[in-house]
Amino acid sequence: MERCLFCGEMRGDPLSFHNLFSPDYAPGFCLSCREQLIPIDARHCCCLCGRDLSRLNRDRVVENRCSDCVKWARSGRNGLYVSNRAIYHYNPFLKEMINQFKFRGDVRLADGFAVELKRAYRHCEREQSGIFKRKPSFLLVPVPLSSERLLERGFNQADVLARQIGAPIVQALVRVRDEAKQSKKSRAERMRLRATPFRLNEKAAVRLSGHKILLIDDIYTTGATMRLASEALATARPHSIRSLTLIHG
Amino acid sequence: MLLLSRHLDQAPHYHADVQHFLFGRECRAEDLPFSEKLIRAHVKNGFIAIRPGIIPLNETIFDLLSIRKKWLCARCGNRDQEAFAFCSCARCGKKCAYCRHCLNMGIIRSCTQLVTWQGPEPRVDQAFLDGRPLCKWEGVLSNEQQAAATAMKRTLAARESFLLWAVTGSGKTEIMYPAIDWQLRQGHHVTLATPRTDVVRELLPRLRDAFPEVPISGLYGGSEEEDLHAPLVISTAHQLIRYADRFDCVLIDEVDAFPFHFDPMLEYAVRKAAKPGTPFAYLSATPPSALKNRFLSGKLKGRKLARRYHGHPLPIPSFRWIGAWQKLVQRGKLPGVLQEWLKNKMEAQQQVFVFVPSVSAAAALTELLQRNGFSRSAGVHSGDPLRHQKVADFRAGKLRLLVTTTILERGVTIANVQVGVVGADDPVFDEAALVQISGRVGRSAAHPNGDVIFFHNGKTLSMVHAVRHMVQMNQEGGR
Repeated sequence: MERCLFCGEMRGDPLSFHNLFSPDYAPGFCLSCREQLIPIDARHCCCLCGRDLSRLNRDRVVENRCSDCVKWARSGRNGLYVSNRAIYHYNPFLKEMINQFKFRGDVRLADGFAVELKRAYRHCEREQSGIFKRKPSFLLVPVPLSSERLLERGFNQADVLARQIGAPIVQALVRVRDEAKQSKKSRAERMRLRATPFRLNEKAAVRLSGHKILLIDDIYTTGATMRLASEALATARPHSIRSLTLIHG
Repeated sequence: MLLLSRHLDQAPHYHADVQHFLFGRECRAEDLPFSEKLIRAHVKNGFIAIRPGIIPLNETIFDLLSIRKKWLCARCGNRDQEAFAFCSCARCGKKCAYCRHCLNMGIIRSCTQLVTWQGPEPRVDQAFLDGRPLCKWEGVLSNEQQAAATAMKRTLAARESFLLWAVTGSGKTEIMYPAIDWQLRQGHHVTLATPRTDVVRELLPRLRDAFPEVPISGLYGGSEEEDLHAPLVISTAHQLIRYADRFDCVLIDEVDAFPFHFDPMLEYAVRKAAKPGTPFAYLSATPPSALKNRFLSGKLKGRKLARRYHGHPLPIPSFRWIGAWQKLVQRGKLPGVLQEWLKNKMEAQQQVFVFVPSVSAAAALTELLQRNGFSRSAGVHSGDPLRHQKVADFRAGKLRLLVTTTILERGVTIANVQVGVVGADDPVFDEAALVQISGRVGRSAAHPNGDVIFFHNGKTLSMVHAVRHMVQMNQEGGR
């Protein structure tokens, strides 16, 4: 029996045909921890940013997209950036989890999200391909940290999550400036930031041209980071840019 | 800074700030608020020792030969290989192991270095030491208590360990005062370690009242105080991980609740926090068998107190059959026996603790009680964010009825409280737990009696042993 990666209790998953004959299954979380995670249903989310529309006020929903995405479209800053897919809705429990993962450095927790990340990645692939078209393969680009922050934290959480998916990863971006943490900034401050802190990694840029790119990050909040990263990537002439995050918050 | 380090190169001097910061502590190198140059100078002169945070564990020849490496966390003593994980580290560029056991005190990776002070000990701030007794407690110890207190003080002064085996409500806290007073007046660093946050929160104000001039620091998970340098530290065992080679005297309250057998990290933490050869004082009403045997065979000095401070006997629990109460609660019915007993207690204006075996039972029963007209009631468990508030409300009398898991079994003193244990046959309630729970009742001299009822669905050996234990203590106490 495996222990839960987060709370350390015995997993105690109910037996099913899936795990009946495999004594050791993938590391993960116990039932009571998983119950506290709120997955976002792909059918009821904003088709652009992946926000759970059923949790949003009626007046902020325009057809199948949220008012934020409508504003982004109007601002003309989208460029090659198409859409985001998020797996979980942000809640206090997930906040605690991310705190342990990102700020305390418990990289092991990422293993527990592997199955969901892979599933979401396949979902992104399926969206892209019609029935007869060849499956497009994405290149994964983790959103980088500045070198100072990377040294302080010891790892890049986006990179750790990207590794769980198992698709080719290209470290195409470099974060130049060490500005204040996004999570410490207000919404207005984030939107105001126009100059991109990202720079293209010239060596890796050659691999990007004509490819579909999937940016990976832990959390999508306003979408400003994604647009700024896309701006920097645009010079490498990729086919399109999408993103996949663990959380929409 | 440049001047200072040049000065350091010439003669082996140390910087007082570094000494003050590091003495008796173990820190990660990155947490030090000093320049690297200064630290290096101290290391060179042997004032600071540096060791790796994660050590490969080679206990047997097989460990050396096997390909899979085993690890030991030097800070928390964790050697459970399941609790180590790996990450590709951006700092050292290699694959680092890290300890998941003590993550909340800052991560320890293979490349992390732990820093300890090796230089001379700083002089204790003597402001409060002027030869007069520090203890301002004005109560009077009974003859038995006085004898135990003197024995404890003398034994610890002779740097030997001591066991105080005293029934619940015998005034253990007050018996410690003379020993603590003596140790503090010698300029010693003293710690009082307890297993649980609630016990720290209970003891802290009492010791602050008794030793008003001594800086006392209370450490528990979520406490705001960060004065790690106080001469008297009251702490949960977990928090002692922050220290190394600091204390000259360690008192461990409720030693059997110390999950020594359950979590070896705690024992490691306490041993590491104390200087080598430090005497330990163990206090408990139900000492674990290892200590009991050492005491009875004369290897460990100690005293046994079989009488409460007010001289009245321990209240003996009575058994009452409650049947399949869990099913009833699930169906939304309050068991009749329990309802009747609680109603009587509420009419008599008494406060009641209801102990239950699990968190889920606490939640379900609380809801049911509130629906059945017991309005001033609440439920607490270890994960409850409002836990401290609810306990404080109960103390203040705002709540009449508190449903609790075993977290409140120890160290909580509330006058004239009545106790019911629902599901006393559950394996959670072992002999020690039941003795401790029964010990909540009749602690004040004004109300030396009260109800202790074990609501059970079939007697267990633990219940019978607990009663036998208390009856025997009453006999030894001359009652």
